[in-house]
Amino acid sequence: MTAIQTWWQVVITFLKLSLFSIGGGNTLLQAYHREAVETFGWLTNRQFSDLYGLAEAAPGPSSMFVGLLGLGAGWKHGPVWALITGYSAEIAILLPSTVVMLIASVYWNHWRDSPWRMAFERGLGPVTLGILFSVSVTILKTANHSLIAYGLSFMVCFFVLKTKISPLVFIGICGLAGVLGFVR
Amino acid sequence: MGNWLLTLILFMSEISSRSEVESGHQIDPGLRELFVCMMQVAFSAFGGGMSLWSHRIIVERRHWMTSEAFVTGLTVARLFPGPNQINMSVYIGSIFKGVPGSLAATAGIILLPFTLLMLLGLIYFQVSAISEVNRLLAGLAAAAAGMALSMGFKILDVYKKDHLALAIAVIVFVCLQGFKFPLIPVVLVAGAISMSLYWPRGQQR
Repeated sequence: MTAIQTWWQVVITFLKLSLFSIGGGNTLLQAYHREAVETFGWLTNRQFSDLYGLAEAAPGPSSMFVGLLGLGAGWKHGPVWALITGYSAEIAILLPSTVVMLIASVYWNHWRDSPWRMAFERGLGPVTLGILFSVSVTILKTANHSLIAYGLSFMVCFFVLKTKISPLVFIGICGLAGVLGFVR
Repeated sequence: MGNWLLTLILFMSEISSRSEVESGHQIDPGLRELFVCMMQVAFSAFGGGMSLWSHRIIVERRHWMTSEAFVTGLTVARLFPGPNQINMSVYIGSIFKGVPGSLAATAGIILLPFTLLMLLGLIYFQVSAISEVNRLLAGLAAAAAGMALSMGFKILDVYKKDHLALAIAVIVFVCLQGFKFPLIPVVLVAGAISMSLYWPRGQQR
């Protein structure tokens, strides 16, 4: 398979998935795994989970994981193609959904006095609250494989809410605990 | 090598949060400020804690929007397809500067962090995985999960006196976590019910 063919495969795959990424990046994780590991064999299982950890830990939106999948797909054609495919993958996953969101945001301001918008604003907050806690539980389960890891998560949550200490301090402590082998 | 890069990233986000404190309160940001501010959000956030950080920077420090307006934006961002934080930057950008604002904010949140991540990815493929890096990633993931959880509690604070809202939130949570219903039908059904319960009766003719 040539570099261009791989690139096209990656771009089409993520363009197709873009509008199905509802409720944040994690909902598509299974679909990513199916395409990247099972269907196309861009990455091994181990590479997939390593790169996911990397994307989660690095600063920036965790949806940037898709760029790493593209990078992995293009790697066999050399680092330049890896970068081209990586950037293209990220643009492909973001473009359709961003256009929809842009239209929604612009019209959102036009509907300022509509009762629909008022009901939408007030009514969907509580639904979001429920989703937030559900996603939190899922993230806790995915990230943590030991009691100490859960303890660290709850500690971070408590101190972020109750103190003004920068969360970076807790990130540092948890990272250190990880390196010393307490977490996994 | 991974350790070294993460230290660099921590250092950069520390610098960015300092320069932002000096600039003080701002209302109605321009394109450049949108770009810089969203980049700051991106570099402050590790993993799932990003909505917490954008709340901290945009609402609590810069006072660009009220907490309620922020929650509204978050709701719209969550409702439409796409990553929440990308959608949130599209929304915030469009409020202040329309389409160019959206582009500036979105570029801000993703351009530099993504380039850094690509470099980290290249290093990953160049050198095979080191167990210390893996253990570090496990620790960071635990911290990120805790921060994601705290965002839920923060928004819970907004609704703590609204019993109807709390009941709706609990039902949504049970549907998703207890019954494992898929997100889309839950949002469509619970959203419609919740909207009809919160329909603005008083202000209507």
